[in-house]
Amino acid sequence: MAEGLTSLRGAGRSGRITVLRVLIVSLLVTLVFRLYYVQVLDTDKPTQSALDRYTASIVVPAMRGEVLDSTGKVLIGNRVTQMITVDRSAVVAQKDGGTAVLSALGALLGRAPDVLLHEITPCGAENPAPCWTGQPYQPVPVEADADAATVLAISERTEQFPGVAITAQSVRDYPNGSLAAQEMGYVAAVGADDVKANPKLDDADTIGASGLEQQYDASLRGTNGSQDVVLDPRGDVTAYGPLTPAAAGSTLVTSIDSGVQKLAESALAKQLAASRAKGFAAPSGSVVVMNPQTGRVIALASYPTFDLSVFSGGISNADYASLISPAANDPLLSRAVAGQYAPGSTWKLVSGSSDVMNGLVPLDGTAACPGSLNVGGITKTNFDSVAYAGALTLQKALAVSCDTWFYKFAMQEYAADQARIDDGEKPNEYLQSMAKAFGFASIPGIDLPQGEQAAGSIAGRESRQTNWDANKDQYCADAAGGYADEPDPARRRYLTTLAAENCTDGWRYRMPDNADLSIGQGETTVSPLQLAIAYSALVNGGTLWSPTIGWAEIAADGSVQKTIDPVARGKVPVSQEVLDYIANSLHFQGGHEVSGAIAFDGSPIKTMIGGKTGTAEVYGKQDTSWFASWAPADTPTSAKFVVVGMVEQAGTGSSAAAPMVRAIYEGIYGVGQDPVLAGSVPATTLPVIIPTAVPSTSPSTAPTDAPQTPAPQTTPDATAPTAAAPSTSRRRRRRRVRP
Amino acid sequence: MSVLLIDRPLTPLRTRIVRSRIDWLLALSALLLGLIGALLVWSATRSSLASDGGNPQSYLFRHLANLVLATLVWAGAAQLPVRLMRFAGPVLYVVSMLGLIAVLLVGTTVNGAHSWIELPGFDVQPAEFAKVGLITGLAVLFSGRSDRPRTPAVLIALGLAAFPLGLIMLQPDLGSALVVCAALLGVLIAADVQARWMIGLVLAAIVGAIVAVKVGVLADYQLERFEAFTQPGRDIQGAAYNVHQAQIAIANGGLTGAGLFQGPQTRGEFVPEQQTDFIFSVAGEELGFLGAALIIGLFGVLLVRALRIARDADRIGRLVAAGVVSWFGFQIFENIGMNLGIMPVTGLPLPFVSYGGSSMLAGGLALGLLQAIHASNVGRTGG
Repeated sequence: MAEGLTSLRGAGRSGRITVLRVLIVSLLVTLVFRLYYVQVLDTDKPTQSALDRYTASIVVPAMRGEVLDSTGKVLIGNRVTQMITVDRSAVVAQKDGGTAVLSALGALLGRAPDVLLHEITPCGAENPAPCWTGQPYQPVPVEADADAATVLAISERTEQFPGVAITAQSVRDYPNGSLAAQEMGYVAAVGADDVKANPKLDDADTIGASGLEQQYDASLRGTNGSQDVVLDPRGDVTAYGPLTPAAAGSTLVTSIDSGVQKLAESALAKQLAASRAKGFAAPSGSVVVMNPQTGRVIALASYPTFDLSVFSGGISNADYASLISPAANDPLLSRAVAGQYAPGSTWKLVSGSSDVMNGLVPLDGTAACPGSLNVGGITKTNFDSVAYAGALTLQKALAVSCDTWFYKFAMQEYAADQARIDDGEKPNEYLQSMAKAFGFASIPGIDLPQGEQAAGSIAGRESRQTNWDANKDQYCADAAGGYADEPDPARRRYLTTLAAENCTDGWRYRMPDNADLSIGQGETTVSPLQLAIAYSALVNGGTLWSPTIGWAEIAADGSVQKTIDPVARGKVPVSQEVLDYIANSLHFQGGHEVSGAIAFDGSPIKTMIGGKTGTAEVYGKQDTSWFASWAPADTPTSAKFVVVGMVEQAGTGSSAAAPMVRAIYEGIYGVGQDPVLAGSVPATTLPVIIPTAVPSTSPSTAPTDAPQTPAPQTTPDATAPTAAAPSTSRRRRRRRVRP
Repeated sequence: MSVLLIDRPLTPLRTRIVRSRIDWLLALSALLLGLIGALLVWSATRSSLASDGGNPQSYLFRHLANLVLATLVWAGAAQLPVRLMRFAGPVLYVVSMLGLIAVLLVGTTVNGAHSWIELPGFDVQPAEFAKVGLITGLAVLFSGRSDRPRTPAVLIALGLAAFPLGLIMLQPDLGSALVVCAALLGVLIAADVQARWMIGLVLAAIVGAIVAVKVGVLADYQLERFEAFTQPGRDIQGAAYNVHQAQIAIANGGLTGAGLFQGPQTRGEFVPEQQTDFIFSVAGEELGFLGAALIIGLFGVLLVRALRIARDADRIGRLVAAGVVSWFGFQIFENIGMNLGIMPVTGLPLPFVSYGGSSMLAGGLALGLLQAIHASNVGRTGG
């Protein structure tokens, strides 16, 4: 019985174990059947749910349009650079962790392998700069512009450089270095603000950031194309989809003549050197050459300047720091368009026109020219206190640049205006209205970004009041404080007195202010371009231009897409008789003496020139030297060129600016040399642009040796994207700069 | 017995196989699974390690080190005389419960579960060892009586199980909790507990599960995973992303697979947690049906051998063996089942194959105990 019980129990136990065994085996069999079904029998297998997750669109960058001068010479071109990129995941996947690749690459690039490793590793707490700021899967550019030897060394031994790729990219090329640098402008990488403003921008694009590059960005940039690619799960391209070719940007032809531009820049540089040799500071200067009949700008020179090449492919931090350092004296600023200087006697075009047109003096009227004059309680003198005997006509007053002659009418006008105010009427402010009518105190409206154009300033009753309301607290605080920080006692006294006056009477527009305005001093400031526009009006029948640099936008097939024409802002309110009178008064043809003509003594072209010098006093600085001129001056409206020269802190107009301008005219007219300008006249017809082929749409037929072609090189970027990465964009490595 | 003694010199080969003190089939199948696991772990981790700049073999080496350690644990546990199991069981139970309490106090959270204790150099997951502790504890409880357990013993057993179950659910670790339930069920079956108890407990578990869902005991992500299971194809970018990617990997493995290191899903790192809970997807994609079925087959050999040990063992040994089989059986089915889309996703490793030190060592410990029982069986029947 005991045995039977045991066997029964045993059967029970093994029965329970059998239950477990059946359970376990059936579970495992279930798994095997399910596995077989899933792997072998199932015909509707799950795949990656959306294939388009593995397609990407690679931007095919549009070739940026070139900028040409009026004869078709390249001012801004394009250049293909070889960029070296490193695919970090491929490099570190090497057996040795990429040591060999990085050592070899480092030796070629002259960089330590561990520095390279830092550069290609995404930024993080463990990897501070230099580090990679882009997406981890993107190849990292380690050299933006590799030299041919490096490229050859890598491409000949690709097996030694796994993960290292060479990609061609197109960057701006500046064959003339610093020529017209401020007006040409530069490009920068597209930033978040730009994309916000224009969602069509790709962050791989560059965008014009200043000058013509910014002003004509929309037409220069062109339209990017795209190349669809199919990627495997590793991110490698397995197939190419449809290609939408890029449409190259338009070519911008300008009215700049590179010969005259070079001439102006070299004359400016030479004059600065000569003035410095004579003991002047002469830190900066500017030249404007424009066609007064058309309003087209022929040259715009500004010193100091900079080499645009530093911006090619992105500017380095060091280069940018040196450009904006105080020692560099702001080379990015165009003195011609954005500089603001007291015009001195060149301004007498405005005051002379105003005095005659507003009836203060008849055209044949006269006035005295004493050495000094009491103006509202202040004694104001002529330049060097020179007095001229007898009664002077306007012609003579302009020719010898007599200040006291103009003071007299400014005093009369002021007194009359004050009387009108006392009678409850509005003042006439003839000088101010004439100045505005000649385009001063407002931006010239040239085809450059508005922020790069100076409006200048003129004093008046209303502007005085506005300024005083805004600043009186500061004036009074400064007067009370006494400029304790100013080390020079004389300057401290001057500033304190000025502040005390401004505190109580800063709102007053006084008689001496009006006298200062009549000779281009006091608060009067103008840009050289504004002065050139005003003198153009003098010799073109009174038309006030908004001048242009751009002349035409040329499509890739060579056709003119758009002609850019200067806009006539209006006519100056001066009769042709008066304009002719003033122009003749300032003519060097002889028969009468003109200050400034002395600078042209001995030049065969002296008789072709008309012009007015200016010597502007600036408190605490040496005089600003001006010369505003035109040629040829056969008849009052025959001028083809208006040339304005300005040299800061260089003495009188006839000692610096006029000799500089003489050198420019002699170059234009070929004195002792071949004329830099064909026929010595401004270009009047657009250069012939030979159609250029867009590689992806039609085969190239353009002759390679045609200098006037925009010659857009075929970059591999533009035709066959190498698609090293599934990225839709490639970021610039260097910091974008937008001053 | 005497017959056997006389027979022995005449049939040396058969005798050695049957009566070997070491269950080689059991041990070798586990070792083979561990080695296959090493290759799969290597494949799953090498590309991501490489792209992070690490050593692509580091997970491989650590998995192999775990395997060596587990072998040592197995060898140590195999020396345990079965008669001492009566004392070792309660000790293992108490120590492992202390581990579960400790993890709640000083543990760290990984992937939302507060399940790890960080020690210098490695992390410990006490829930893995609690499975062994509970099984041995229950076995000792039921080994005292030779007849059917009465109600008080069953209630004590439920209490013993409820304690770790509660602690594990606090982490929360639903997968380990289910394994605890499965192990409890296995021990109760082997202990010959009356059928009405079994049916009652299963019904109570079903009611409890429904209540748990309604009352909100389960975390949101657990419910999402369950919904992802009940509604395939839904939310494959969210809760079901992981399992969906694993299923793509397995389905496209076909009969023979893409080849080791060649699976697009594995190389592309599409399956998160692939070296642990979804290691089977590597096998499915790269080794195909043949390789993946081999793994299931090896588990089959392992479990059948373990059941054979249970059948031959004395009461305490049988209970331990049955508990281990139920644990492994459920965990294997759940893990592979979720990879194949027939079970909802819970975080459970595939024994010996998945990367993970605690799981490997607990497995080694369990197999060591089975070996000790086997050795005792051979001793009893052979001597």
